[in-house]
Amino acid sequence: MPVTKDTKVVRGVELRNDPAREACFNVVHLHHDVPDSGHATVEARRQRVHRDYNQEVQTLEIAAACLVDFPSAPWELRMELARQCWDEARHAELLYRRLKELGGWKGMYAIANLDWSVVAMLDSLPARLAVQHRTFEAGSLDIETAAVPMLQEMGEHGAAEVVDAIEADEIQHVRFGNEWLRRMTQVEPRAVLDVAAAMAWLKRVVEATGGDDLKDISTSGPVREMAGFSQAEVTQVARLEHQTLRSTGTTPNGPRDE
Amino acid sequence: MLTVKERGHFVATTRYLYVTLMETLAAWVPTTPEMEVKLLFGEHIWDVAQHADSLGKRTFELRLPLQHSVRAAEAYVSFLSEMAAIAPTPQRLAAMYDVLLPGLADRQRRYVEQTDRLVDAPTVRIFERYLVDSARMIDSCSALRQELPEVQLADPQWVASRRTREAALEPLATLPPEAVAVGT
Repeated sequence: MPVTKDTKVVRGVELRNDPAREACFNVVHLHHDVPDSGHATVEARRQRVHRDYNQEVQTLEIAAACLVDFPSAPWELRMELARQCWDEARHAELLYRRLKELGGWKGMYAIANLDWSVVAMLDSLPARLAVQHRTFEAGSLDIETAAVPMLQEMGEHGAAEVVDAIEADEIQHVRFGNEWLRRMTQVEPRAVLDVAAAMAWLKRVVEATGGDDLKDISTSGPVREMAGFSQAEVTQVARLEHQTLRSTGTTPNGPRDE
Repeated sequence: MLTVKERGHFVATTRYLYVTLMETLAAWVPTTPEMEVKLLFGEHIWDVAQHADSLGKRTFELRLPLQHSVRAAEAYVSFLSEMAAIAPTPQRLAAMYDVLLPGLADRQRRYVEQTDRLVDAPTVRIFERYLVDSARMIDSCSALRQELPEVQLADPQWVASRRTREAALEPLATLPPEAVAVGT
C-alpha cells in the first residue's frame, strides 16, 4: 500500500501530484487546458499525437506504480503489469516518432496528467484495475476503434496502422484487468467495496474537473467482448455512459479528453 | 559439483535480485523526468520480470516452491536499497547499467563455470539467455546516452567505486544447515 502521498488540490479535489516531467513541458491540471483543435489540420494532428504520447507515458507510470505499491500481488498479475510497462513504452515511442514526422517536438503543447493523478491516489489494487484498466483503458478501446477508419478516410494510413497496433495491445491490458478484478473480488469480497468507493470518487473527480464538450464516441461492443467484458456488461457500460454524460456533460470514459 | 540445495539457493536468491531490480526500475519510472529514460526503464521492467519468472519456475524443479525467492544477504540488500534511493538520472542509469546488471552477469558467468553443465543444464540455459539479454539492455542504455549526452555521468570514479563495492559483497545469504533427525 502506498504510504504518504505527494498530493495537489484541483478544484477542491485532492489528487496525486504529477509525475516527473522535463522542464520543456508546461504541465496543466485540467484536460480542457490542453490544446485540442479537432482533427482536420496538421496542427490538430500534432496536438493529438502530443497528447496521446503523454497519455501512454502516464499509463506506463501507472502500471509501474502498481508494481511498486503492491508487492504482495499475485506474481502472474505482476507479470501482466510488467509486460504492460513495455507495451506502453513502445506505444509512447511510436507516438513520439509520429510526432516528429509531423514536425512536432516534446513540450510543443501543454500536457495534463489527470489519469495518473486519479489512479495513483487509490490505495487498493482492485480499485486501480477498475478505474485504469476497466474504465480508462476500455474507454480508449472505443476511441481507437472509431479512430482507425477515420484516419484511413483522411488518408493517414500510417497513423491508422499505429492506432490499430496499439489497440491490439490495449485489448490484452483490459482483458487481464477484467480477469484479475473478477478473481480478486471472488477471493476477497471486501475488494468490491474498494471498487465501488473508487468509482464513486471517480465520478466526483469528473464532476469537479470536467466541463469538456460531449464527444460522441460509442461503446465498441465487439472490442470490449474481446477484452473480457460480457455482453451484459457492454450493454450496462453503454447505458451508464449515457447517464453519466447527461449528468456531467463530460467525455464518456472518465476524465479523458481524446 | 553443486548440490541441488546449493543450486536452488543460488537460483532463488538470483530471483530475489531480479524482482528487486524490477521494483527499482518501476519506482524510477514516475520519478525520472526524461521521457526517453522512462521508456528505457519501462522496456527493461519486462526483461527483468521475465528473468525472475523463469528462475521462479526453475526453483520448483529444484525442490523449492514455485516462484520462490530467497532474500539476499543483508549487506547486499542494503546496497540495493542505496542504489534504489538514487535520484539524479545519470547516477540512476550508471547504477543499473554500469554496476548492478554487469555485477549480476559476472556472478552468473561464474556460476555457469562452476556448475555441472549437464546436471544443471536447465539453469545454465537460463543464465546464458540472460547474459545475452543483459548485454542488449546495457547496449540500449549506451545508445540512449549517445542520443542524450546530458544523462551521461561525467564522473567515472562514481561507477568504479560502486562496482568495487558490489563485487566485494556476497548476495547469497548463509545456506541453512540440513535438517537432521534427532531423538530417534
